[in-house]
Amino acid sequence: MTEASPETLVIRRRRPMLGGASAQVGLLAIVAAFWFVFSSLAPGFLSSFNLFALGRSLAVDIVIGFSQMVVLATGGMNLAVGSIGVCAVMMSGFLLQDLGLPIPLGLAGALALGGVLGWMNGIAIVKTGVNAFIITLASASLFLGAMLILTKAVPYNALPPEVGAFGRLRLFGVVSPLLVIAVAIGAVLVVLYRFTSLGRQILAAGANPRAAAMSGVPVGRVIVISHVLSGVLAAAAGLMVIARLGAAMPATGGEEWLLPSFLGPVLGGTLLSGGSVAVIGTMLGAALVTTIRSGLLVLQIGNFWLQLFLGLILLFAVLVDRYRSVYAERRSVGPR
Amino acid sequence: MSGLLRRLLLVEWSGLAAAIVIGAVVLAFLSPNFLTEFNIYVMLRSFCVSLLVGFAQMVTLGVGQMNISVGALGGLVAISFGGMMEVLGLPIIVAVPLALAIGALGGLINGLLTERTGINGFIITLATASAFTGINLGITESIPFYNMPPALVAFGEQRFLAFPYLLIAPVIVAALLGLFFARTVPGRQLLAVGGNPQAADLSGISRGRVIVLAHVLSGGLAAVAAVLAVAQLGSAQPTIGADWLLLSFAAPIIGGAALTGGYISVLGTTFAVILIALIENGMVLAKVDPYWVQFLLGALILAAVWLNRWRAVRTGTG
Repeated sequence: MTEASPETLVIRRRRPMLGGASAQVGLLAIVAAFWFVFSSLAPGFLSSFNLFALGRSLAVDIVIGFSQMVVLATGGMNLAVGSIGVCAVMMSGFLLQDLGLPIPLGLAGALALGGVLGWMNGIAIVKTGVNAFIITLASASLFLGAMLILTKAVPYNALPPEVGAFGRLRLFGVVSPLLVIAVAIGAVLVVLYRFTSLGRQILAAGANPRAAAMSGVPVGRVIVISHVLSGVLAAAAGLMVIARLGAAMPATGGEEWLLPSFLGPVLGGTLLSGGSVAVIGTMLGAALVTTIRSGLLVLQIGNFWLQLFLGLILLFAVLVDRYRSVYAERRSVGPR
Repeated sequence: MSGLLRRLLLVEWSGLAAAIVIGAVVLAFLSPNFLTEFNIYVMLRSFCVSLLVGFAQMVTLGVGQMNISVGALGGLVAISFGGMMEVLGLPIIVAVPLALAIGALGGLINGLLTERTGINGFIITLATASAFTGINLGITESIPFYNMPPALVAFGEQRFLAFPYLLIAPVIVAALLGLFFARTVPGRQLLAVGGNPQAADLSGISRGRVIVLAHVLSGGLAAVAAVLAVAQLGSAQPTIGADWLLLSFAAPIIGGAALTGGYISVLGTTFAVILIALIENGMVLAKVDPYWVQFLLGALILAAVWLNRWRAVRTGTG
């Protein structure tokens, strides 16, 4: 699993560093098409209430996608995104409600816990050399179990009212500040991967660990840092859910975040084999998922078929991506 | 003595066997209810489905793949099986083979998609898992099929002393799988491809066909697990399989399977599932929070991974 096959190496060489721009234009067109279809079928889709609700859940989906994307960049994966998210949720509930700490401290504590849990994943992966899939599958269960044992699955319902009020805040009547935060996080990530040496090191380590190590990249440390970042981002997504619900619920996150966390980055053109990130693509991927979810809701098709749609879209996206790269390869090599 | 001990430690299931014996003795001392006929029957009943779930993942691990959709496919097979009997009125004897065929078909889709496209099996089966679950929920709208044939329900409940009739299926499947991997050409080919795909290619094994075979087997085994789960519960619940993912990896990995493929152990997986059943039962008897099971399962996988690693270093194979 961890070894890159020769085919993926070929694809990787043909990819621009921040994901194919053409892929993102295509994705944007698909999102626009869905908006057109949904708004013409159900006028309620474009109501300011629905747009506001859509933006709020989009913010969460974007950050969940980022949380997975930063680990995919190293060629690993993090199945514990949802577990870390819910641990952070309950931690902030505990800090704000039981300890009565001021809000900034409560949020910082939750983000710190996310970072620590991510760090534990990273250390376990680097020290044992076992693939990230199995380590994070086990730690997801470990973290979730520990959270349930400690909190007894009792939600924190009496958070300071400012938390919920922030979630209900509307800028210009339709935009949630949560969405602004998500986009700001995206901007920070673009700077990280494009302009800082740490970001370049992460991508180098993901593209070819051995070559990166030979050129002096501390591969182990870079992987641990990526997992810390993933943990902090998962915690941030959890905090956004708290703002949306006005309460810290133990049913947040968990396995429900698994599919969305991969959908955003993979639709956006992030490679599973590592070495590339697509920050804007991840945002567009999340936009597609949120649009479809919201549209099916407005059309009252219901949540039951949603899973099928999301699965088929993911399949479709990876197949298209695969054939596009095969086609690009053939064209550059010429007819055989 | 130390030589014998070391050799014992190097057998993948030796630690498991020791843990099971110690666990059983401790539980027998702590709880008078542990060794009762009924308690053993309850444990064996939950063991049946779990073992098949573990096997379903084990065959994909053997070929160096993974199948995230084991639980989702199990759920889809379970409600199809229930629906065929309740809505279509098919007899059990017809519904069972059809259910197994649906499982195998799901596996075939996974296998063909993975093999033809060369895309990472993780992402393919993550996508198909979502699709299978979507079909399941779309058909049932989360409402179970309750009216199962009395013969099926009876099969799920009846026992001989402490042995549930359900146990017949996993015993037969385990024996067949053991035979398949040890003695048959496709079984050996499956492990050869998992162990070293290039070498397998060079020795003329059709890698693609073997990978597809592993996925079909995995789907079929998930279907057997689903049919047993319906018999055990007495109804076809859409939630069957929802919690299989962790278990499916825990059983073969604790049982000593190599994550990189090429090595699996039917006996090891069986012992691992016994250990898991024992832990779950101990939790119930001790009236501990059920959440501890989730925590311990995670810890157990990490411990097993670490132990396998240590063993590989000791034997110089890692």
